[in-house]
Parts: sequence; C-alpha cells; structure tokens
Amino acid sequence: MKKTFLKIAAACCIISLSACSVKKNDSVTKPDGKLDKCSLRFSWWGGDDRHEATLKAIDLWNKKYPDITITPEYGGWDGWSEKVTSQVSSSTEPDIMQINYDWLIALSPDGNGFYDLGELSSQLDLSQFDDEVLSFGKVGEKLNAVTVSVSGRSLFYNSQVFSRMGADYPETWNDLIALGNRFSEDGLYPLDLDIQSGGTAWYLAVVYVQQQTGRQFITLDGRLGFTVEDIKNALSFYKQLEESHVIRTVRTRTDEDGNAALYQSPEFIGGRVAGVLEWGSAVGKYESVLPEGVLEAGPLLTDEKGCSDGWMIKPSLLYAISKNTKHPDEAAAFINFLLNDEECAEILGTTRGIPASHKAEAVLQKSGALNGLTKESESILSNAHTVTISPYMELSRMKEFYNTAIEAVSYGTSDVDSAAQQMFDSVNNYLEKIRK
Amino acid sequence: MKSRIYRNPVGVSRFTGLLLILPFIIGAILFIIYPFVCSFIVGLKDGSGDLGFDNYKNIMSDSNYRQTAAVTFKYTAFLVPLKLAVSLLVALLLNCELKGIGIFRTAFYIPSILGSNLAVIIMWQYLFTSNGLVNQLLGVIGIAPVGWYGDPDKAIFIIVLLRLWEFGSTMVIFLAALRDIPNELYYAAKVDGCGSIKAFFHITLPQLKNIIFINLVLQTIAAMQEFNAPYMITGGGPLGSTRTIGMYIYDEMFRYGDEGTANAVSWLLFTLIGAVVILLYRFTEKLRRD
Repeated sequence: MKKTFLKIAAACCIISLSACSVKKNDSVTKPDGKLDKCSLRFSWWGGDDRHEATLKAIDLWNKKYPDITITPEYGGWDGWSEKVTSQVSSSTEPDIMQINYDWLIALSPDGNGFYDLGELSSQLDLSQFDDEVLSFGKVGEKLNAVTVSVSGRSLFYNSQVFSRMGADYPETWNDLIALGNRFSEDGLYPLDLDIQSGGTAWYLAVVYVQQQTGRQFITLDGRLGFTVEDIKNALSFYKQLEESHVIRTVRTRTDEDGNAALYQSPEFIGGRVAGVLEWGSAVGKYESVLPEGVLEAGPLLTDEKGCSDGWMIKPSLLYAISKNTKHPDEAAAFINFLLNDEECAEILGTTRGIPASHKAEAVLQKSGALNGLTKESESILSNAHTVTISPYMELSRMKEFYNTAIEAVSYGTSDVDSAAQQMFDSVNNYLEKIRK
Repeated sequence: MKSRIYRNPVGVSRFTGLLLILPFIIGAILFIIYPFVCSFIVGLKDGSGDLGFDNYKNIMSDSNYRQTAAVTFKYTAFLVPLKLAVSLLVALLLNCELKGIGIFRTAFYIPSILGSNLAVIIMWQYLFTSNGLVNQLLGVIGIAPVGWYGDPDKAIFIIVLLRLWEFGSTMVIFLAALRDIPNELYYAAKVDGCGSIKAFFHITLPQLKNIIFINLVLQTIAAMQEFNAPYMITGGGPLGSTRTIGMYIYDEMFRYGDEGTANAVSWLLFTLIGAVVILLYRFTEKLRRD
C-alpha cells in the first residue's frame, strides 16, 4: 500500500512538472471574413455614465446583429486591472476588452498577448484613424489594440466654491500656491491629489519638473529621463503643495476619506476640496456628483512666462481582442461598431473621451455633443505643447515606487533626499529588468 | 417487525475500500496535490524562467515582505486572544435558559453571516472616518476625534475590530461545548460552597480546554491568511501598516504579474502557518493533557 501511494505521488509530481513547464498552446483562430452566429464577452471599466451609455450601445448592436450576442462585463477602475491580469494569465479573458495603455507592455511585451488587429481589416475600418493614433496600439509590427480616444489629465474646479471665495482659477504654479494660502483661512483646499490607484500626486509633480527641465520623466522606450536632482525637485514641490494648504496631507486625506475614491468623498461633494486633476475622458464621475454645471475646466498651469510644456497626453483607452477568441471576425465587427457606427457614436457620446475615429467625431460635432468638460479638456490640452506619456510610467510596480516616496515625504518618515535616491534606484532597476 | 438486510452493492474484495474512497482521492489529486506541486514549481521560477531558490532569497531580503510579515503577526496577536475572550464571554451569557434567548443567539451570529461583504465594508469605512459615527460618539463623551485611518499605529485596529465584531462562529462552537458540560459538576461544586467565578476557572475552563485549542488554531490560521478586510478598508495603508502577507501575495500575482514571487510567498505563508500551529500545539500540550 505504501509503495502504491508513493507511485501515485510520484506520478502526480511528474504530471505537475510537465504541465507547469510546458508552454501554452498558442493556436490562434484565423479570420474567415464571415459573421457567424455566436456569443461574445465584452469587458470595460468606468463610471456610471459610461456603463449606461455602453449598455445602450450593446442593445443597439443586439438589434442590428441579433445573431451575435454581446455579454457585458463591467465595473469601476479599482481592482479592474488585477481582474483582467488574472483572466489573461488563466486564458479566461473576454473576447473583446477595453484596455489601458500600459497593459500593452504588461500583457503583450512581444506583441503576441492580444490578437493582431491588422489581420481583421475586412471587418475593422482603420482608415478613420490617424497613423500616429494607430501607432499607440502597436507592439512591434503587430496592431494589438485600437485607440478609442486620446486624453490627458487637466484641472477641474468647483465653480461655486471659487466664486464664493472670489478666486480665479490658477494659471501659474505660483498662483496655485497663493490660492492654497488663501483657501486655508476657510479650511478649504483648492485641489486634491491622491496616492491611490490614480496616483495624481506624482503626476502633477512630474509635469512641474518636466516643464522646468524639458526632460521627460520616462522616455517612450522605457528609460529614466529624470536625474536624482529632478526627482528631489518633484518631491519638494509636492511637499510645498501640502505645506501651502493647496492639497490635504496624505494623513489628513486618509483620515477623512479612508480608502474611498475622491468622487465618493463627502469632502469633495460638499466642496471643502474644490479641485481635481483628472483625465478628460473620465471626468464624468466627478461632474455627476456635483450640481449640473458646477465643475468647470481650468487652465493648465504654466511657469511665469506662460510655458505650458510638460503636460502629458496618452491614448485614454484602447480596444483589444483576445488572442484566444474563437470569433475574431465577429469581435472585430463589434469593435468597428463601437468605434465607427454613427448611431453608436451618438449613444456613447464622450463617455470615453473625444472619439479618435474621424467618423464618430464628425457625428458628435454635427449633433452638438462635443461641448462638455471632456471637449474643453481636449481643447485646452491641444493648445499646449504636450508630450506623450511613456506606457512604462503607468505600470503598477512603478506607481508603487512613486506612492511609497510621496507617502514617506508626506509623513516625514524619510527626507526628500533619501526618498528621491531610493525612488531613482528602484525605478532604474525595474526599468532595466523589464527592458531585458 | 422484520428488519431489512442491506447488501454491499460493490461486493467485498481487497479493492472495495479503495473504490469507495476513489472520488476523494481523485478530488484531492486534482484540486489539492496538483495545484500544490504546480504552485511550488512556479515559485521556483525566476523572471527568466530558470528554476532555483532566487525568489525565496529575494523575498527574504525584501523589506516590504518583512513588513507585511510583521503586520500579519501583529494583527494575529491582537485579534485571536481578543476574539476568543469575547466569544467565550458572550457564549457564557447566552448559555442560560431565558425566554427568547434564541433571538439573542441569532442576533449575535448575524455579523458572521454578513462577513466582509461590500455593504459592511462601506459601513465600516464611514464609521471610522474623521467625521464618522465613532468619532461623533467619542465627541459626545468629550474625547477628541481620533485619526483612525491616517495613523499607522491605529489603522490595524479598524481591521481587528471588524473581525472581532464577527465572533459568531467561534461563539457557536463555545456555546455547543458549554451545553455539553454536565450540570452535575456545577451542582456538586455548589454543594461544596463553590462560587460562580471559582466554578468557571475550575470546571468550565478545564472542560473547554480542547475546544479553546481548536478555536485558537482555527482563528490563528484565518487571521494569518487575512486579505479581504485590509484590502477593502485601508488598501494596506498608511505606510504599509495594514498590508498583510495575503495582500502581498495578491499584489505580486495580480497587480504586478509576478507569478514566481507570489507562489513562493504563498509557500512561505503556508510554512509560517504550519510552524505557528505546531508551536501552539507544543506549548498547550501540557495544559490540554492535565
């Protein structure tokens, strides 16, 4: 009996060893140019405005193409990246996915992590996109994803609070610092920056230093462009924002909001915190918790000479198809519908930003839908000398390095010099590791 | 009345026993042994796919891991004794024959049914914010508001309190054991002039020692595996003061996509839990035998 047990145990180990070491079978279903009856899964993250519009768009698709059923999977941003990562690593991801820019590096470093959309031109009209916009979704020679919209973070303010304080929206960094001192008399804050999933604290500090030095924090090919001195400047600038009462300290913010997102925070809804740095494509969730028309777009902060360099843009979202899908033609047709269909464009509006597809943008222009905060943000950014964010900057591990440094400086557990040196080393080592 | 005779449908042979436990063996191989072996092998793979113990060496020298291990032990050390004490106390109170006692027993068990669902977590989040109910109540009795979330020394207690509130399952086990203690022992003690407190220490506790040990082991294992509550309530902050080993594994696996490190840490956690349980067994051996 003992021998039998040992034999069974040995067999298990051998099977496990072989199963764990054999690479997955990468057989990709080839397109046949036909639309067959099937059911597809489509996943996205976002706020309620995006969810409602997308569900309506799916209803329209189901009416137009009753043979191809779309099953929606959606939720908020928190935890979404982790969910998709686990789905992709276990090959259970949806057929069609809304993905983030940095996922291309994380999930498809060699271009084989997603379906090559270049093979699906019979269903997907790519002529509606500029070459530069299409290039955002390319990994090597493979088109892994199509950009839905191009967006950047800009500043939005609670107009009621500003008018009650008799204050104008800040135009320069010095204006912002002065505003903090002025708001502090009433216990208010003109802006909020976080170190959670948004990571806006480090983002704004990077913009400030990029504008001063002309150096990009991380280059598009994944190299650290900042020196230790630059990182020190960025962390010192962040500390100055806290000390000038522009933003809450990490401790105050955590005490007041816990782990809740800013748009769910009573401090923001009640107007004690009167500004937010947010993607133009995602500002709807902040807009919807305040009375209509209260949230307004402010100018990009510049130096005293009006130089707006250093602000950043990126593809806000992209659509990708799973490499494991059994229905690539149908999935491509659905993406084409989301991106280029005129009726669908009207339904989706600007819930994913200003459409990168010329056709969809023209529809919204004609219907007068391009007039919200998203459009204002896009106009503000298009008038500035923006740079494209490196996808490496947004990787989760990198965000951990930024947030650790900011938190240490904010709590005073580490001085700016040593926090900067530690962050410089961590970022450099990690970039070197993933570039290999 | 004629009794019915049941016959063994599979017959009796040297393989009968094996055949009967075959479903369990298949399940254990597929869902326990196979994932265990796979996890161990993946934990040996570094970023380049080579097998070795590099992941374990890197983890041991990682200050983040050491911090999460310290947080996990601190959390366990605070939660488990408190939970056992509260569960036992409430079980003693509920072990009386009053009219409507069933309602109280059910009421105390409800938090355990709710568990860490989203509604409870959201309620918990707002209870402890600066302007939350807890600080408002403290204000009524003249205590200044406490910064629960932002203070690295206090944040862990929000998680401890949530889990403490969910003491129902431990209490039920104690309650069942209390009801098994023969009343004759208490009658005899009373006749000998023994008071309630003395009876508790000389009758109740000795009778419950094995059950206390079982609850101690179960709660220690659960506490060391803690993930949900800190992940949802504090996100591991501030300054990593509520980041448990469970969160470290989750972050490595799903946030950073490092399967090797995540699986290696899982094995380390498994080993740590095993070591703690063995230590508990050894330290309490004499007490349980006496």
